[in-house]
Amino acid sequence: MMLALLLVAAQVGAPALIQDPRLDRLDPDTRVQVSTVLDSARRVGLPTEPLIQRALEGATKAAPGSRIVAAVRRLSADLSVARIALGGEASAPELEAGVAALRAGARPQVLANLRSARRGLLTVALSVLADLVASGVPADSAAVAVLALAPQARDADLVEFRRAVERDIALGAPPGAATSVRVNAGANVQSAGSNPGAQPRPRRP
Amino acid sequence: MFEHEDDVVQRVIEQLRRPVAIDPALDARVMEVIAAPRPPTRAIWPWLAAAAVLVSLIMWRPWSRSFRVEAAAFQFVLVAPHANSVSLVGDFNDWDPKRSPMRTANGIWATVVQLAPGRYRYAFLVNGVEWRADPGAPAVPDDEFGTPSSVVTVGGRGS
Amino acid sequence: MGIERVESSDAELVRRIRTGDIGAYGALVSRYRDRLGRYALHMLGDREDAEEALQDSFVRAYRSLARCDDPARFGAWLYGILVNRCRTSGARAARRRRMFVRDADALHGAARADQSDRLEWTDAVDRALARLAPESREAFLLKHVEDLEYEEIAELTGAGVSALKMRVKRAREQLQRYLREAEHV
Repeated sequence: MMLALLLVAAQVGAPALIQDPRLDRLDPDTRVQVSTVLDSARRVGLPTEPLIQRALEGATKAAPGSRIVAAVRRLSADLSVARIALGGEASAPELEAGVAALRAGARPQVLANLRSARRGLLTVALSVLADLVASGVPADSAAVAVLALAPQARDADLVEFRRAVERDIALGAPPGAATSVRVNAGANVQSAGSNPGAQPRPRRP
Repeated sequence: MFEHEDDVVQRVIEQLRRPVAIDPALDARVMEVIAAPRPPTRAIWPWLAAAAVLVSLIMWRPWSRSFRVEAAAFQFVLVAPHANSVSLVGDFNDWDPKRSPMRTANGIWATVVQLAPGRYRYAFLVNGVEWRADPGAPAVPDDEFGTPSSVVTVGGRGS
Repeated sequence: MGIERVESSDAELVRRIRTGDIGAYGALVSRYRDRLGRYALHMLGDREDAEEALQDSFVRAYRSLARCDDPARFGAWLYGILVNRCRTSGARAARRRRMFVRDADALHGAARADQSDRLEWTDAVDRALARLAPESREAFLLKHVEDLEYEEIAELTGAGVSALKMRVKRAREQLQRYLREAEHV
């Protein structure tokens, strides 16, 4: 019992600025700079896990330290902007998806409107917005489409919408038109049917 | 370190640091509470809440032993007939090539990963050196490290 | 709940929990219950209140686990939840009269007959602690009993480091004074 307590004490009682051991994959100089960004983010209540993942991505891809630090700093700043747009209660996944949407060209007001238009988590809606733009849909058209669907569509419907638009674009439809046709047709697409009795099959991205 | 007036305080500290006995049944009570299904907390009208609980009970079947926090199995596939090794790396496994090596049959490489709700960037690492995005998934345009990445978004109750 | 390998770090356990392994949370509970229970007990002065606060905090931590951005610092994050929970509990309990004294021997496992001196001392300590203002008691316990750094306490409590140092200093002075008084009774 005493030993267990000592073990617990050794783990919990350590000072606050404890290093995440995963950051050992960075060279010392980069690690220090990244840790500084993490501490600032933590102090203002921003999630640090996305920042850590970005650093680890850079490490795995053998990127120069300065690029890793720059990427982490940029993400930290963007998370901050996303939080202003989405509100302080936004979850970490929502913030990450918000960053993706902003970087895709959505204006912060669009994010705020989405928050008012849709109940529950916005992670999928924001991701779909970002992904549509990545497929070539102009940012404004993508925003209009997602906001139109936001009040009623389930997350699975939004994902299906995104897939359908991508198919249309692949088949030659102009990206802006592809979204408006789908939205106007009241595309209430069925998501993959759920069969509660069966073993759920793994999904695809 | 401590002046002699502080000896009293030091003795107090030693006293307070002594272990205290916490009810051993507390652990079990915590686990029982968290494993029980929760009705949705946000409801405008009582009937809406009741309907939601009914629907969620039907869909999630809390009486089955495999009731879990929402995490979904995702399958990742890459066609690479000439590759010797393919790894899946992304935000869900610390971008560590050792964590999710993929298996192959006839040049089709695949693996299944459990993902909690969130948005994840990822890519395939072929033969330990070549980075490939997932042709079947949305691309990530803002790539800061000069290599292609894809993204997978998992919806659901997570936070 | 199963036996966890000693090497499973908090971060690993949190990751497993997030992918659906509820059982892994049991390992975190056993890892932290004694330490956090000690803080809750000294902070609230009542065993029932402390165990209730502790249980609530573990449940709340599990339910908002996705908001723990730094799984490697799960312990500190959990502390924050408990500290806040104890503040609400403290406010409720302040409306009731509390007696620390009776539970002293149960808490510390002291055999009454042979250790009456120790009992008196533990009683005196508990009473002195109870007389501190809640913020002072909180700061004192976190700093000197739970061994947290001021920066970490600042994060948990939202107070500034200099304010915290003042509170700890005040707590030390008051504890000394109360215990000296107790000696002269």
